[in-house]
Amino acid sequence: MKVTVFGATGVVGRALLPLLTSDHELVAVSRSDHVREEGVRWLEGDAGSAADVARAVDGADVVYYLVHSLGRRDFERQDRVAAENVAAVCEDARVKQIVYLGGLGDDEPAASPHLRSRRETGQRLSAGAVPVTTLRAAMIVGKGSAAFETIVALVDRLPAMITPSWVSTPTQPIGLNDVCRYLAGVCGLQPAFGESFDAGGPEVMTYRRMMERIAVLRGRRPWIVEVPVLTPRLSSLWLHLVTPVGASVARPLIEGLKSPTIAREERLRTLVPFEPTSFDVAARSAFEG
Amino acid sequence: MLASGGFESTQRVIASGPVVESSESGARGLGIAYWQAASQVTRGSVRAGWTDDGGRLTLLGGASLLSFGAPELAFSGEIVSCRYAIQGGLLALRAGGSVTLAQRHADEEVELRVTVEEYVPRLAARLRAPGWTGALYAKAQSPLHAAVSRRYFELLASRASA
Repeated sequence: MKVTVFGATGVVGRALLPLLTSDHELVAVSRSDHVREEGVRWLEGDAGSAADVARAVDGADVVYYLVHSLGRRDFERQDRVAAENVAAVCEDARVKQIVYLGGLGDDEPAASPHLRSRRETGQRLSAGAVPVTTLRAAMIVGKGSAAFETIVALVDRLPAMITPSWVSTPTQPIGLNDVCRYLAGVCGLQPAFGESFDAGGPEVMTYRRMMERIAVLRGRRPWIVEVPVLTPRLSSLWLHLVTPVGASVARPLIEGLKSPTIAREERLRTLVPFEPTSFDVAARSAFEG
Repeated sequence: MLASGGFESTQRVIASGPVVESSESGARGLGIAYWQAASQVTRGSVRAGWTDDGGRLTLLGGASLLSFGAPELAFSGEIVSCRYAIQGGLLALRAGGSVTLAQRHADEEVELRVTVEEYVPRLAARLRAPGWTGALYAKAQSPLHAAVSRRYFELLASRASA
């Protein structure tokens, strides 16, 4: 099959390409610079541009949509526009399937702007005639994943942490390789057409527990105190100061941490079966990566 | 009220179809939806916090109102459930009792149920004590529990229809 990947230089895109190259003819699209790889035809383009998208999806059977504008001032609008554009152009190009990676917890009534945007992006993609397969994941444990790198940086840099109440929110992180195996597994898979799946990792844990697990792996013993008064704004400014993540990315991420991000169903495990990677193994792999 | 001093209550609704699937994730989802309902009904003044060993409901993130053991998840063809043992907190006179969130699928009917068993509320009247000593429980905590259950049912229904 001919497969086009939007967001190919992102954390997920980069890890997904090698899983697709052996079986498919690949077109990788990115706004930014990229390293050329064998078996991949690279295009520079913007998902918000109809001309760029038309060029990229010409003759494609499956389109992966891994684009987000997190960190930009008007990321919600930009994501909405790009998704509408891709849905419309894919319909004209008679694409058979769009695969989208969304976020767990995006359907909560009190979902953060970031999670709301992920949901809205999925809705805009689905508004066209091309069947969309949506995979919803929580934090992705992998090198370069903004949420994961933030937690690691906190653990590495602070001997003592005064943390907001979101550290007691449960989440179900998934390893980068696992999420990519799921993404590759649904490529052209008829039963996945028009369906949404929760892609949860094998373990449910709180962010506090995650910090403690990372600390053990990094050989550290941070002291964690939870207080109820830290607002998302204060937290994001604090993260901006002590981690490599900018406040514009940290704030939407932190607002999203207030909602539990837990899988509610396990159909994907049956559809794309494999032994999921434990958190510790995925984290170690990210550190070595 | 039971002879032991414990309280039991059940709220149930009939749903048009299953709201969670019969799996570990489905069972866990029932539990998490209940704590989210508690937070929503109290407009965030009661917050749910989870630990590896269970969870707790706190007042504004501070005082622990109720603490719970780890969720006991069960799923068979007909029943999906999540049970939390009550381990203490300001609103419990002593550890004991449980909250069980369940979905039961029988014939054409799907029943959603919230069951509290053997819970001994600190605010309720003791056995043989005057009724007014339990006014706080009867007029505040018990109606709040019913409101949380209603919101919980609404949450599940809205997710199922989404």
